[in-house]
Amino acid sequence: MSLVSGKKILVVEDSRLIHKMYEVMLRPITLLSAFDGREGFEKLRQTPDVDMIILDINMPKMTGLEFLAQIKAIPDLAKIPVLIVSTEGKEEQVARGLQAGASAYLRKPFQREELLRIVNRIEAKQPAA
Amino acid sequence: MSEHENITDLPRSAEEPIDGGAIPRAGRDAMATLRRAQQLVSDAQAAIEEVSRVMGQETDDGPLTGADARLAIAESERQNLADRLVEVEHQVGRLMTLYVATYQLHASLDPLEVQSTIAEIALNLIGAEQFVLLLVDEEDKGFEVRIIQGGADTRWEQTQRYQGGDPLVDGALADGGLRFGPSEESPALAVVPLRVQDVTVGALVILKLLEHKPALVKEDHDLLDLLGAHAASAIFASRVYSKTARKLRTLESLIRLVNQG
Repeated sequence: MSLVSGKKILVVEDSRLIHKMYEVMLRPITLLSAFDGREGFEKLRQTPDVDMIILDINMPKMTGLEFLAQIKAIPDLAKIPVLIVSTEGKEEQVARGLQAGASAYLRKPFQREELLRIVNRIEAKQPAA
Repeated sequence: MSEHENITDLPRSAEEPIDGGAIPRAGRDAMATLRRAQQLVSDAQAAIEEVSRVMGQETDDGPLTGADARLAIAESERQNLADRLVEVEHQVGRLMTLYVATYQLHASLDPLEVQSTIAEIALNLIGAEQFVLLLVDEEDKGFEVRIIQGGADTRWEQTQRYQGGDPLVDGALADGGLRFGPSEESPALAVVPLRVQDVTVGALVILKLLEHKPALVKEDHDLLDLLGAHAASAIFASRVYSKTARKLRTLESLIRLVNQG
């Protein structure tokens, strides 16, 4: 299973370990890193041309759901697909994430194949640039 | 095949006259050539039959034609390769996880960051919702409770030091062997002793998994095994570094004082 190079993904996640995991698993995609929702929002304002956002839920300063609500309120950013990856895996938590506007939800711990499959699926749904 | 069968009744030997010597030598030479040709055809027939046996897979409608047989073989090989590719992809993913865990454990020489990485591995890569990290106190060699995650039961929350009493934890700390539970005497799902050079410097006690993670699987065992060795050396190195850095700072301060005086 391969990924298309030249794409850009913003990772909003407070764990350095998981940042490293994405860096290794999502090569050759370009990753932008943010460690909480506020930093993620700032990164997005500076670089709005990202193809996808991978978002954690439990983070300091601004949670994933707060971040999601903010970008969905901005028309230019609202169209960026968001994949939530979280240890929160109860049905109601997944439903809450999807209702908030996420394109997909992946529970931690995840396997590389699952991550690539979902990233490719989201990518395939996007209109060609 | 029948076209070959019409030359099977030749004499057994070119030297054996079929006409009592009336046929001239040239005829006998021709007969010998025919016999060699017969042998070649016979060998070719055998080879074709062997290839057919290998390639020809019979269906309910009878033997497959050559093209069908080759297609069936190609399809079978494709399926086999696809299965192997899936397996290899899975192994690559597992190795990536182990690599990242090891990389991150050794990425810092700050003892608190190393502890934090152990907690991140337990939560994000193993799927532990409740766990406790015990680390040895270098002065009295007892075990301190350094991290309690996810509201572990009160027995752990009420204490700063592990006093013993859980047979799985006690066993793992004593002999350095990985333990899996739970048992009647212990609620722990797994106890991972952290050992470096045959010395136990701590243990990770997993008490509960995330709801969507039903049980520890084989991949988790590999990760726990790796954690036992690499977390221990990372903790050891960070403690040594931190102690040395502290001494260095003290010495530098003393030197500054002496120089000023």
